[in-house]
Amino acid sequence: MAPMDPAATSLPAPRATGPKWGRIALSVVAVAALIYLPTLLTERSVFGVRLSNMQLLNLGLSQVNLMLISMLGALSLNYLTGCAGLISIGHAAFYATGAMAAAITGTQLGLPFPIVLLSAALAGCVVGVLAGLPSLRVRGLYFVLSTMAVHYVVFFVFLEYQFRAFDVVGVPFGVASLAGFELNTPTRWYFFLLAFVALVYWGLSNSLRTREGRAMLAMRDHERAAVSAGVDVRILRVKVFGLTSAIAAMAGALYAYYLSNATAENFGIGFAIQFIAMIIVGGMGSLPGALVGAAVWLLLPSIIAGFAQEMGPMKGIVGSMLVEHRAQFVQLVFGLLVIVLLIFAPGGLVGLWKRLVGRLGGGRTGA
Amino acid sequence: MLGQVLFSGLALGSIYGLVALGFAVIFKATDVFNFAQGMFAVCGAYLAVTAISILQLPFPVAVVFILVVAALLGAVIQATLIQPLAGRSILSIIMLTIALSIVLRSSLEIVFGPAGRTLTTPLPSGSFAIGSLRISQLHLTAAVVSWTCMVAFGLFFRFSSIGLLMRATADSHHAAVISGVRVNVMNRLAWAIGFTLAAIGGVFLGQLQIVSTELESIGLLAMPAVVIGGMQSIPGAIVGGLLVGIIEQLAASYISPKASDIVIYILLLLILMVRPWGLLGQPSINRV
Repeated sequence: MAPMDPAATSLPAPRATGPKWGRIALSVVAVAALIYLPTLLTERSVFGVRLSNMQLLNLGLSQVNLMLISMLGALSLNYLTGCAGLISIGHAAFYATGAMAAAITGTQLGLPFPIVLLSAALAGCVVGVLAGLPSLRVRGLYFVLSTMAVHYVVFFVFLEYQFRAFDVVGVPFGVASLAGFELNTPTRWYFFLLAFVALVYWGLSNSLRTREGRAMLAMRDHERAAVSAGVDVRILRVKVFGLTSAIAAMAGALYAYYLSNATAENFGIGFAIQFIAMIIVGGMGSLPGALVGAAVWLLLPSIIAGFAQEMGPMKGIVGSMLVEHRAQFVQLVFGLLVIVLLIFAPGGLVGLWKRLVGRLGGGRTGA
Repeated sequence: MLGQVLFSGLALGSIYGLVALGFAVIFKATDVFNFAQGMFAVCGAYLAVTAISILQLPFPVAVVFILVVAALLGAVIQATLIQPLAGRSILSIIMLTIALSIVLRSSLEIVFGPAGRTLTTPLPSGSFAIGSLRISQLHLTAAVVSWTCMVAFGLFFRFSSIGLLMRATADSHHAAVISGVRVNVMNRLAWAIGFTLAAIGGVFLGQLQIVSTELESIGLLAMPAVVIGGMQSIPGAIVGGLLVGIIEQLAASYISPKASDIVIYILLLLILMVRPWGLLGQPSINRV
């Protein structure tokens, strides 16, 4: 596989010696903002000053929560594709696996939520290892196709399961509760998901600094060199596949619980494609890029919808297009965004940002 | 019963083979695994709607219109989107074609509305019986036209001088450039041919069913068809298309209509595990 854009490699920078006060202040502000966000989005005012819908970009807390869940999928896919160099268009299959495992353990057996999450992770890991097995034999394009075939198999199994055990409406999910703490309001979900995403992000970015993490980056950049340095790439591939699928499956279980209902149609091939789009928009191989990509992908439709409402009375082609064909218009914007970024900024938004900072900062290089 | 299923499988398979042939031409020439091929077929169906229902062109003019516009679209897509990405990673190129199909789909839905449209052409649409076998004339026409196009392309590719240049380009870009072949023109030609073949397939698919962007999933069956037949092999694409059509119809009538896709994708998985270069391809892919 061709090496990725250098601006987007995620080889972790050496840790700065001694914390800088500016950086500490910045992270304190960021944490405070993240804690304040649900209050802002539910009360829709800042210190008593009421904000209009458009000042809040037409966002609600449930979009933010769905974004956090998608961040898990984008993080794991970017780890798999960007950091390990394994392309998968079967990511929706692992979401579906997680949702199915949650349906069996949570809805049918009534086990507690943490166990449901664990079983989803386990099921995802098993299916992921199975889906990763063709990587022992075929590479590149052929492997991409095998992940797509896996997707259709899992999709079919989910469909059969849904119709055998439930009905057309889908699989219902109860209220998730963690040791008595019920996740029954968007705000509670928000803090739970925020902690979960932070944990996964922390774990994944630290794992890149370990021996196996470095072996993985070496495998992506130059497989033969990695092999001759003693890396067993076959085991490593299957391991990465298992790990990322477990994360995606947990995200799938969370997604199902958050929506409180899941059908096979939720996990079509389009669902898998959106994760690829997210990591391309954010930046291939960059974990912050996965977060940025998921944020853009999940929040932009609602922002566009907000503008459409503002421009609703407007006459003319733009106005009518925004009102009548809003869904299609959003898709069009996304498609064009991906094409433009692919052609002009292969490093995604994060790569673009780094280039910009590099240009402004003069001496400091972006990469 | 079996004969009936085989007949419709062969007829549909011929259309898949045509779309898959377009796919294989593009892949062979430019190494692009084109996820937008299904959407190209949909574009063909909508071009037919535009020419016949909206512009109300006479049928022969409409056919020329469809072919010319499809070829132009293919060439323009290659020049504006594919060429700038030459030499980039597989994922970038795959995602570009996926994004292209999203853009095409949403543009078509904005222009024509999301509801399906019926397409009526002067092509014969009745049916006649041979023994117990009912032959739909439309299926028959689709098969005959598909085979004519495939043979015509085969002759062009094999015997014309431009076909020779195309084959040279596909074999080795470098050698072709050194020998003075205008590689970009050849690539554009390959995309034009690929788009046109898909569009012809799309016109028939649109007439057999209803013209809507949902046809994409049928057009996308060209992908397993190509892989099963052998990605580097032009006859492989046709054989793969026929196989997919027949298997799909058999699975739909003997197992369940829902099972038709899954059977094809399981076959794809098996082929990938056992014989990744496909039934008619040559084993030249990278192994671990």
